[in-house]
Amino acid sequence: MTDVIDAHDLRKQFASRGGPIEAVRGVSFAVSEGEIFGFLGPNGAGKTTTLRMLTTLLPIDSGSATVAGLDVAREPENVRKRIGYVSQLGGADDLATGRENLQLQGRLYGRENDYVAARVDELLTLLDLSSFADRRVKTYSGGQRRRLDVGLGIVHGPEVLFLDEPTTGLDPQNRANLWEHLRRLRERGTTILLTTHYLEEADALCDRVMIIDHGEIVAEGSPRELKREVVGDSVVLRVAEEGDGHERARALLTTAPFVSSVTQADDDQLRCYVEDGASALPELLRLLDSQRVGLRSISLSEPTLDDVFLAKTGRSLRDGGPAAREEVTA
Amino acid sequence: MKLARDTALLCRRSTLENLRNPVWLFVGFSTPLLYLALFTPLLKNIPYVGGTDVLDHFLPAILALLAWGSGTAMGFGTIFELQAGVVERFRVTPTSRLALLLGPLVSGLGWMFLFDLLLIGVGAAFGFHVHVAGLLVLGVLLGLFMLSMAGFSVAMALLTKEISSFAAVINGLNLPVLLLAGVLLPISIGPDWMKVLAHFNPLYYLVTAARSLGVGTFSGGATWQAFAVLVPLAAITLTWATRVYRRAVA
Ligand SMILES: Nc1ncnc2c1ncn2[C@@H]1O[C@H](COP(=O)(O)OP(=O)(O)OP(=O)(O)O)[C@@H](O)[C@H]1O
Ligand SMILES: [Mg+2]
Repeated sequence: MTDVIDAHDLRKQFASRGGPIEAVRGVSFAVSEGEIFGFLGPNGAGKTTTLRMLTTLLPIDSGSATVAGLDVAREPENVRKRIGYVSQLGGADDLATGRENLQLQGRLYGRENDYVAARVDELLTLLDLSSFADRRVKTYSGGQRRRLDVGLGIVHGPEVLFLDEPTTGLDPQNRANLWEHLRRLRERGTTILLTTHYLEEADALCDRVMIIDHGEIVAEGSPRELKREVVGDSVVLRVAEEGDGHERARALLTTAPFVSSVTQADDDQLRCYVEDGASALPELLRLLDSQRVGLRSISLSEPTLDDVFLAKTGRSLRDGGPAAREEVTA
Repeated sequence: MKLARDTALLCRRSTLENLRNPVWLFVGFSTPLLYLALFTPLLKNIPYVGGTDVLDHFLPAILALLAWGSGTAMGFGTIFELQAGVVERFRVTPTSRLALLLGPLVSGLGWMFLFDLLLIGVGAAFGFHVHVAGLLVLGVLLGLFMLSMAGFSVAMALLTKEISSFAAVINGLNLPVLLLAGVLLPISIGPDWMKVLAHFNPLYYLVTAARSLGVGTFSGGATWQAFAVLVPLAAITLTWATRVYRRAVA
């Protein structure tokens, strides 16, 4: 398989009052044809900035990138013909109908009226937009609008589609629905690069994931590979008693030979990493029981991408800011 | 070819957007109309500038004012489209960069000429003497000035990126430019320092030329001076705006 996107040591700095911000600090990766590739990272990690460099919207400070075999800096016009980009904001015209938006977009890609009209009909069906295609966009629901945004990005049949947080703000049902549409696009041969801060999205939708933090790559691989790298399982427990029970449990577990590390999960939860959950759990219970630490709850979980992030950065993606928190309640 | 096609597509889009949200059009048109309705009666009673042909002097200046207003207002649309992600959606297509700028400008120019015609029609009903040749030449000057100000306004919008700083720039310019142009009262009745300052104001040249073209006078140098100032101004602001569009859009 050939690489459809190839990025080499991309860097981007922004000037600001408090000194320069290094938004992207040496990012390299490759995406093969027909892959769904995800950028996962907390707010301000540099996901949008990287995407905007790859889509010709932002000059590259240093490093280089090719998309669909073309150098982004040297041939921006040809790159634009072969990619689609859906920004975080979407940017459809609210006062126009969905169909009008798609038609204008198609014509801006230089296609003739007849071609565009046929293509728009095809897209309306593909993305389940037909029943409200002739309504003004401002009356659309969040999910309908996002599907239209995707339609605007693929009206010219691009080889590569860039999506910036395609499902942020959507409820789980709409999110799953959009995933289905993206998978269908992939089956038709489109390579997709998307950003997300939803762990579930990266896990369920992406063939490969790049975790990015503070403008640098933290880890890269298929979700399964990444999780396998974080050896073992994790046990999450909550201590029953008031007072120092929590601290005692923490001290006990930290020194236990079968526990590799202990971190604070939520306010009153502890997360222990163990090599093999099934055999560690009884030992762990026995140890706590022998020291009379009562438990309110305990659960064993296989590693998640959050564990990968935690293992690599010492922080949890989930406490990365308002947008990351939103996910917990979603 | 491609430039013309892309410009036409984007001009059509802007025009439709305006029709679907006509509040701006209404505001844009009612301002000069109110000036005409509420200021002409005052001028009539000032012997120095007034007299029987007051509309012949005042209406051309109001057309110049409308060119200033229509031009400088273009950036508000740009700010809105920047923040709604529309600008990025268009920039990532292979559309000509100049067309992205010109589309809305041409649409705005069309609206301005339509309002000019309406104002002249209303004015004529109240005694404005129509000199077709003079008004046609004035139309060229109005178009040049409107496009210059629109280019400036859009470029400022792209650089400031948010409504409050942008509005501060435009509003900050508004009053001095209008007062030093002699739109309401001719600068010729003011002190010398004012006459000197006015010569640094492009709108002053437009208003002066408008007053003389409005009564059908081509001689006297006002028209040529206006062309000499407004042609380079249009070239500079539009080049600058295109360059800003190419680069600084974020
Ligand atoms: N135009 C700009 N000017 C100045 N700083 C910027 C600009 N764009 C981005 N930044 C800064 O660069 C860093 C990376 O921003 P970026 O938008 O790429 O993050 P992100 O990963 O997309 O975050 P989010 O999940 O919140 O969308 C941030 O610190 C941001 O403040
Ligand atoms: Mg972002």
